[in-house]
Amino acid sequence: MATVLLDGVGAVGIRAARQLVETPGLDSLLIAAREFSYADDVAASLGDRAAATELRPDDPLPEGVDAVATALPAAVVADRAERALAAGVPFASTVDDADAIDALLGLDDAARHAGVLLAPGCGLAPGLADVLGRHAADALDTVDEIHVARAGSAGPASTAAVRRARREPAVEWCDGEWREERHPTPELVWFPDPIGARECVPVKVGVALLVRAFPGVRRVTVRLAEPLSRRLAWPGRRGLDEGWGSTRVEVWGWRGQARESMVYGVIDRTAIAAGTVLAVTAARLAGIAPGLAARTGPSAGAHGVAALVEPVPFLAELARRGVKAAVFEGVAVA
Amino acid sequence: MKALRRGLIVAVIAVLVGGFVKLRGKGGVPPTSGGWRELDGPDFR
Repeated sequence: MATVLLDGVGAVGIRAARQLVETPGLDSLLIAAREFSYADDVAASLGDRAAATELRPDDPLPEGVDAVATALPAAVVADRAERALAAGVPFASTVDDADAIDALLGLDDAARHAGVLLAPGCGLAPGLADVLGRHAADALDTVDEIHVARAGSAGPASTAAVRRARREPAVEWCDGEWREERHPTPELVWFPDPIGARECVPVKVGVALLVRAFPGVRRVTVRLAEPLSRRLAWPGRRGLDEGWGSTRVEVWGWRGQARESMVYGVIDRTAIAAGTVLAVTAARLAGIAPGLAARTGPSAGAHGVAALVEPVPFLAELARRGVKAAVFEGVAVA
Repeated sequence: MKALRRGLIVAVIAVLVGGFVKLRGKGGVPPTSGGWRELDGPDFR
């Protein structure tokens, strides 16, 4: 039995809370939010296993916590990770901001020394996309290229993060080097229907996590679609981004003498998909889902989800909870 | 004459819309065949 602390109950956090209380083996879910009364309301709606806790940013972690899951704005994530690290408790976050992810990766040495796992990017992409990349890579002998794209965001903070990422210089991994592009070229990406074709620009978010999880990969790119404005949307597009999101993962590599590609995708409510990924990852870190842990995964340090979980049982668990991945069958798109 | 003017306006609008759509759709190649299949039981064994 385990206790998980969930910090942040916005669009994603509240979905993660629902998923966590329904996880076998969870003894108690502690919920922290900026306003205690809101955390208390959420906890009351989740039943006996959930309880609100008053936790200010400078407070130490409560006793008996086995894992921390956060769905918080990027600016505060590094501090919360350091608090978990100080307490020797594993930490998972949905953060999808490049600088915040870098800050967590910067804690890698300290986390290894403390024997603690830190998992940034436990959302749709980075997050589920990375696991789909691992699933594709497992079907190939070697992996050359990984291209991830995402459309959709979960809540105002996530939308702002996507817009900021698209404005900043893109970074891609190319032939063993980081390459920065100040004026990246947009490209149409075909997501599963009904999202369909969306123009995406390369960004920095999540590239480092993939490069670390796939040593030897030659090229890695991550692209994000522009969130649709409530006021200005293409005819027929209005409403599609009202909570809907998708990710598409294309992996190129070699199987025997043949160069092959595999394409996986997901379409779901972005907040539900991200919240479910966060909850299942937190369950794995808390030790109540031992079957999900990667067989050769690291026991400490800062890593993306792809390095921490075994893809098949992880995807099966997500599917059991309603978040279903799909494979593109047909002519691959380069 | 009126029909000619209307035709001209329609042609101009079509060119403008077509150009805009083409600019917006720069890059990428549409999938020409195949489709998405949900992963299920056998994929998870």
